Order: sequence, then structure tokens, then C-alpha cells
Amino acid sequence: MKQLGVLLLLLVLFVLPVIVLGLTSLAPGWRFPDLWPRTFSLAGLDYLLKNQERILVSLGSSCLFSLMTVLTTCGMCLAPAAVFARFAFPGKTLLEGLLLTPALVPPMTFAMGLHFLFIKFSLSDTMPGVVLILSMFSYPYMFRALVAGFQNMGQEYEICARNLGAGNLRTLLSVELPLLLPALIAGGSVVFLVAFSEYFLVFLIGGGSVPSFTGTLFPLLSSSNRALASILTLVFLFVPVCLFLTLDTILVRVYRRRGLI
Amino acid sequence: MLRSLFASGVLLAILGTSPIMLQAAEEKLLEASFETIEEQAAGTAVHWYMFGGWAHVNSWVDGYVAAEMKKRYDIDLTRVPMDAGVFVNKLLNEKAAGKQTGSIDLLWINGENFKNAKEAGLLFGPFASRLPNVQQYVDPNSVAFDFGYPVEGYEAPFGKAQFVFEYDSAAIDSPPRTLAALKTWIKAHPGRFTYPQPPDFTGSAFIRQVFYALTGGHEQYLQGFDRELFERQSPKLWDFLNALQPWLWQKGQTYPKNSASLDTLFSRGEVAFGMSYHPPHAQNKILEGSYPESVRTFVLEDGSIYNIHYTAIPFNAPNKAGAMVLANFLISVEAQLAKYRPQAWGDFPALDISRLSPADRKRFAEVDLGPATLSSAELDPVAVPEIPAAYLEALEQGWEEHVLH
Amino acid sequence: MKSAKLLLRLSPLLIPYLILFCGGVFLTVGQSLGFLTPLPYTGGTFEAYTQLFSDPHFLASFLFSLQVALASALLSVTAGTLLAYWVWKLPQRLQTAAIVYKIPLILPHIAVAFVVLIFWSRSGIVASLAHSLGLIDAMQEFPNLLYSGWGLGMILAYSLKGTPFAMLLIMALLLRFDSRQIQAAYMLGASRLQTFFRVVLPRIAPAMQTGFIILFLYSFGAFDIPYLLSESRPGMLSVNVYNLYFKRDLARRPEAMAMLTFMFCFAVLLIVAYSKIVNRLEDAERKI
Repeated sequence: MKQLGVLLLLLVLFVLPVIVLGLTSLAPGWRFPDLWPRTFSLAGLDYLLKNQERILVSLGSSCLFSLMTVLTTCGMCLAPAAVFARFAFPGKTLLEGLLLTPALVPPMTFAMGLHFLFIKFSLSDTMPGVVLILSMFSYPYMFRALVAGFQNMGQEYEICARNLGAGNLRTLLSVELPLLLPALIAGGSVVFLVAFSEYFLVFLIGGGSVPSFTGTLFPLLSSSNRALASILTLVFLFVPVCLFLTLDTILVRVYRRRGLI
Repeated sequence: MLRSLFASGVLLAILGTSPIMLQAAEEKLLEASFETIEEQAAGTAVHWYMFGGWAHVNSWVDGYVAAEMKKRYDIDLTRVPMDAGVFVNKLLNEKAAGKQTGSIDLLWINGENFKNAKEAGLLFGPFASRLPNVQQYVDPNSVAFDFGYPVEGYEAPFGKAQFVFEYDSAAIDSPPRTLAALKTWIKAHPGRFTYPQPPDFTGSAFIRQVFYALTGGHEQYLQGFDRELFERQSPKLWDFLNALQPWLWQKGQTYPKNSASLDTLFSRGEVAFGMSYHPPHAQNKILEGSYPESVRTFVLEDGSIYNIHYTAIPFNAPNKAGAMVLANFLISVEAQLAKYRPQAWGDFPALDISRLSPADRKRFAEVDLGPATLSSAELDPVAVPEIPAAYLEALEQGWEEHVLH
Repeated sequence: MKSAKLLLRLSPLLIPYLILFCGGVFLTVGQSLGFLTPLPYTGGTFEAYTQLFSDPHFLASFLFSLQVALASALLSVTAGTLLAYWVWKLPQRLQTAAIVYKIPLILPHIAVAFVVLIFWSRSGIVASLAHSLGLIDAMQEFPNLLYSGWGLGMILAYSLKGTPFAMLLIMALLLRFDSRQIQAAYMLGASRLQTFFRVVLPRIAPAMQTGFIILFLYSFGAFDIPYLLSESRPGMLSVNVYNLYFKRDLARRPEAMAMLTFMFCFAVLLIVAYSKIVNRLEDAERKI
């Protein structure tokens, strides 16, 4: 009985909102005191279809800069994470603490200072600018995940590969990276989500020229037509879920083929 | 010492394209025939930055305007949602940073934002008189001033607005007709009235209307900004609004962020009155399904502000030719007619109807504005103009100081 | 390893960190003092700060932001801990279904704010429910939760987003926790509450602390949710900064930057204090 209660609580807290969003997206005129919409309409879906190009562009752009952020943070963190996992050096704890601060302090505090510089260097209003700023405050998640990944892996594989005559690159690509994959995916998913759902920084640095899904959704949220906002929110939920599911399936398949599980 | 440290610590010297070359190209554009401009614009992309809070307006731009621009001129239109104050600030930033090629081609603008932008040299022009549709259909006298500030061709007319209130006739038999009656109504119905927080334009227009009504009309303010007059008259407005505060929605602790938020509160019945700068707005919302069928509009006898809104081109617009073609299309008969229909938006035309052909005039007359929209016989007698933008800014700042805090 | 080689291997992270993060903070501080502002600044070096600290609304906003951050972090961590513990005790089959808790993690903050708006506004779902249950007759009788001056709307939104986050952190620790310890505790006669507080809680405390500090600092300085749900006054600091930066005169840029500098210093102080406290706690535990 208690078990069901817990499950019910979870459903009410986390699934009911999605159901209500689904209903709202089909009932633009749903208002107090009706507990169930009086009329349904497909106007929201119609809007979605009519504006599919714009929505797809913003969705694609959001996915693109989020993925690029994942790659950038990965490139930034890979070598340093190995160092942190394997070597002791003076000031390590302090440095680690310092390197984690960008995820903790409000990102506005450094992003707004950088804004003027980005305008000067023509980085504002561009995709690379957006990726840089997003990487700067999301890399700590990747860093933490990779340090843990390297620690779990140990150094034996690397030594073994080198003894067998593999070079730096070869060791990294065919030995370390596959073993790091779970950590990469854990860190990468968080970075992706953080970048994908950020509104303010993309607005600040992208200046509206870099389309983003949050940017498309934001003005609709306070509009009186709640159907549109709900429907786009659902799309929002759908894309990362699909992405993660595909990733998961592919991974399992790859691991099976290689006989890792 | 500190100063030099900062100066040397940061690399700043980055120059864009030579400003002289750009200037020459711009002058050429302003002299070119419109056919040349259209040719030059074909196959390009135009980024139009505009307030994005109204879903129906967004749909109209993304649907109708974008499709027509593609079909007629082979131009790809991208609408970028951004508040007017924000894009003016963005341009100021870019100007200060010496960025010669920006990302905005066309702005939707008027009032204090136009004045600030023009005074800071953020605008390209004068271009409005170069647009064939402006030459043919617009009465130059109607667009000589924007909030008392000379336009001088730095913005092209786009639409005409007049302030109306909205109410649900199923809930209220006869809405208040005067400011005094409105005050009585608000006090009799605590928590059922609010207005968007200035500097939102609808909220700002509301307090301006009240300002006119309380201080004896708008005429005295038309001669430019008079600090002494403002200091003398504005306390009446603050006293009035502060006295209302305890009876407002959320006791005046919070105001809706913009007019779209007020629409939402009104459509959901949390407050009894909506406000709009577009008289057929209520009809549009009814057709869309967000307002009940019984919603109607009204104006106060004390006056209802009207103004014209415009489009303008930034100094660093990457595609000025494309922006001019779009601005010209927006003031064309077809676009103005499409915009006038309440199904699409319901924004009044900025054209001079008497300059149209009889056939076109008929098309405008045939547009069904719906039962929720007031006729011009009701709107025209109460119409009052905008006062100089400096008053507007002073009122907005004063509101924050004296009413919000 | 030689320090030069060490630095080289750390450089992919150190260089962007120094240029973008430290550089960004440096520019924020610089602009708050009147250097490198878009418009030449005429005021004195600390004028922006004097202005800021003499403004009673700034203090009110700061306290308000603190209060919202504290309440939402506490609520998230408490709810997250309890839910994580309950889910962990579920049989394997049901645990799979419990994965739905991750939904708000995927939703962006602005969408979560929208959900709160749909549910808790006076014309929202909860009000409709109360009406159908006969608890209220009219919308106006529904308690004024959003925009009440207490930041409740924001607290609700942050908690809806933060609870699954805290759950995630705590579940990670619980999964490594041997459930036989609990049975042992029961056998030794501990009550359910005692077991939870004496056996389980110490094990998950690190995750709770980490979750708390992350959520606290996030809600303190983020912009997305307050922009949709904040009261007009006192208003969250981040919204004040946004208004100063984007909607006011460019000449007031130093003020906006001074506010950001203040937020930054506060966050850093808090992080330092937090790590000191955690270290001391851990030392104390080791001694025991």
C-alpha cells in the first residue's frame, strides 16, 4: 500500500504536469472553474504545422549548439581530467575548487562582463560565441564526470596499450575513449541538458540571431493562448527523451557487439 | 595606474570594415531607384526584430508576411522576438563597441525608443520617403512627428493604434465610462483591476491617459518637455495611482509584466478588464478562442490615446536594401488590409484611405471587425494624441519611483 | 611529472578558464568601477557601489533573493531526500517505474515556471479542483500564492526542478548503500525514524549538502524563472540586473555591474564557507 502511495506521489508531482500540458495544448479556452476542458480544438497543432519550419530550425539550432557545447567541454576536460585523476601536485584541491566555481556562481556575473568584449570581437550573435559561453559554465559537469571516469578506469589499460606499442593518439582513441564512454555520456547528457534548456545566456550572447528553442518558447509562455506554449513544451520534452533513448539503444548494441557486456 | 592597467590588460583594438566604404554604399542606396533596390535585395535574408509577446502578431508575420516576401521578392524573412528597449540597448552597445555590421535589419519601433535611437545615431536614413508605397498612400502630415519628435524619414509607418479597454459583457452590464467611474468601480471590486507594468507600452499608455485626464488634458504638454510643468502636474497622477494600489490585483504588489500577461489574466477571469492598443484585439482573441464570445470593448470619455507605429533600419543593418523592401511591403495596400482583419491581427491601417482607389477603399470597408470592436464613430471623438517622448520617459521613471517602490 | 608538462596538459581547461571566466569577472568588476564601459564614465570610481548600497530597494531585493533561494533549496533537498529514500525502498520492478521523476530534469526552467503558472495561479488547475470540491466558491477565495510578495511561485518552480535533482544525487549514493545495514538496525531494535536518522542520513549527507549548495546558488542568481514568476517588488536581483542592463540608460551600466560583482562575491564567499564547514565536519567524523 505504501509502495503504491509513493508511486502515486511521484506521478502527481512529475507526470500530472505533463498530462495537464497535453490537455492544455488541445484546449486553448480551458479556464476556471472547469476541472476538465469544455471544448477541444486542434488550433495549437495547426499552429505547430504552420510554423513547423521555424520551429524545426530553432530546434535544430538548439540541438546543434548543445552538441557543440558537449564536444567543446569534452575537448576542454579530457586531458586535464586525466591529470586530476592520476597525479598529485601541490595546490590540487584548491585548483579543483576553482575550476568548479563557474557552475556555481551565477553565470550572469561573468557573461555580462564578457558581452561587451564578445561584441568587439564579433563573437556575439554567432553560434561559436554561444557555444563558448555555454561551455564556460557547463564544463564542470563534464570535468567531474571525466575525473571519476579516469579514476574508475585506473592507469593499467593505458600502460598495457603503450607496452604493446600504441602511440598517444592510438591509446586515447582505441583504448581510453571506449572505456570512458559511460562517464562521457553521463557528463555529456548533463551538459547537453544545461545548454539545451538555457534561455538567458543564449539570448544575451546569441542576440536573437542564433535561433533557439527556448527563445521561441519564451514569448509564448506569458501569452493568453496557453495551447501553443503547452504544445511547444511537450516538443521540448520529447526531443531530449528521444535523443537519450536512441543513444542508450545504440550504446547497448555497440557494447554487445564488442562483447563488453 | 588602475586605469592603465585595465587598458593594457585587455585587447580592444579591433576594427571592422572601413567605415568610409560603408558610408559610400549607404548613400548610394538612398539615391538608387526602388527597382534597383528590389533587385539588390532578391535572394537575401532579412532579420526583423520586434516585440514577441503577441502570438497572433507572430503568426501573421511568420505566416503571411514571410510567405509574401518569399513569393514577391525572393527574400527570406526571419522574425526575432525582442523588446524594443532591449534592441535599442543592443544597438547602443554595438555602436559603442564599433561594430559596423550588426545582425538587425529592420526594427518595429516608435515613441521614446525611436527618439533614443535617432538621437544616438543608431538609425539609417532618411529612407521612408524613398519607399513607393509611402509616397503613394501615406499622408506626410500624419507621420511628421512620433510622440512629438520629428520623424524626418528615419522610420516608415506600419500601423495605427488606439487604446481600448476590454470587458466581459456577461459579467458586467455597463462598464465605467469615465476615469472617476472607473476608480469607483475598482474600489468596489478589490483585486479585479490592474494594468501592465510600465515601460510596457500598453501600461505606459494607460498611465499617460490617466495623466491627461487628471491634469486637464494633453494640450498643455504638446510644446516640448517642460520640467517645471511636469513636477507640478505629475504628483496628481502618483497620488491617484497610489490611492488605487490597495484595490488592485495582488494589492499592487505585482503588475503584469506586459500586455500579453494582462490578456492572460483577463482571459482567465482573474481581472475584469483587459487593455489593448488595437481596437479589434478583443475580436481577434475571440476568434482565436482565448476570450469568451461575450467580450466587448469600451473607451473612457476622458480620452483614448492613439499613435502610429513604425519600422526603422539600424545604422549597422547588414541588409539595408532588403529591409527597405520589407518596410515598403508592410505599408502596401495588401499587407495593411491583411493586418486589418481581426482574424489575423486587427491593427488599424496607417494609410490615408482617401488616397486609395475606390476598389481598395471598398475592400477596407468590407472588413468585418466583429461585434467586439468599436466603430470609428465611437473611437474618433475621444481620440487624443501622444505627448512628447520626454514626458513618457519621465512618467515611466516617476512611476517606478513613486508608485512601484 | 614535470610542472611544465603538467601545465601543458591542464592548458585546454586553464586557458579558457583564465580568459573567459576570470576575464569575464574582471570585466564585470572593471565596468562596475567605470572602466571599459560602453559610454565614457564620468562618475567616481566607487560611485556605483555607493549608489547601490544606499538604495533600500537593493537591500530588499537581496534579502528577497536570499529568502527564495534558501526556501527552495531546503524544500528541494528535504523532498528529494524523502522521495529518494522511499523510491530506493521500493521493489526493483516499481523502481523502474519511478524513473518518471526525471521528467522535470529534462524540462527547461522556463517550462517548469509555466507548469507552476498553470497549476497554482488563481485561475489554475488547483483552484478549479478546490472549486469542484466545494472548498471555494469564487476564484478570489483561492489563496493568493503567486506574486504574493513572498516569492512562493518561484519557490514552487525551483522546488519542482530541484527535487528531482536532489533525488538524483542522493539515489546515486543510496545505490551503493548496503540495505542489510537497515535490517541490522531494525534487528537491534531501532525504530523506523531512528534508522532513517542514524543509519541512512549520515550516508547520504554529502549528497544532500552538495545538492543544497548547488540549488541555493542557482536559485539565488538565475534569471529564467524569476522573469516569469517574480513579483514586481521587491524583485529578484537577477531581474533587477536585467532591467538595469537592457531597459535603462546605458550610463547606468556600472550600477548593473556593481550588482553583479556583489552577487559574485557573495556566491564565492558562500562556496568558501561551505567547503570549510564540510571539511571540518568530515574531519570531525574521521576523529569519531
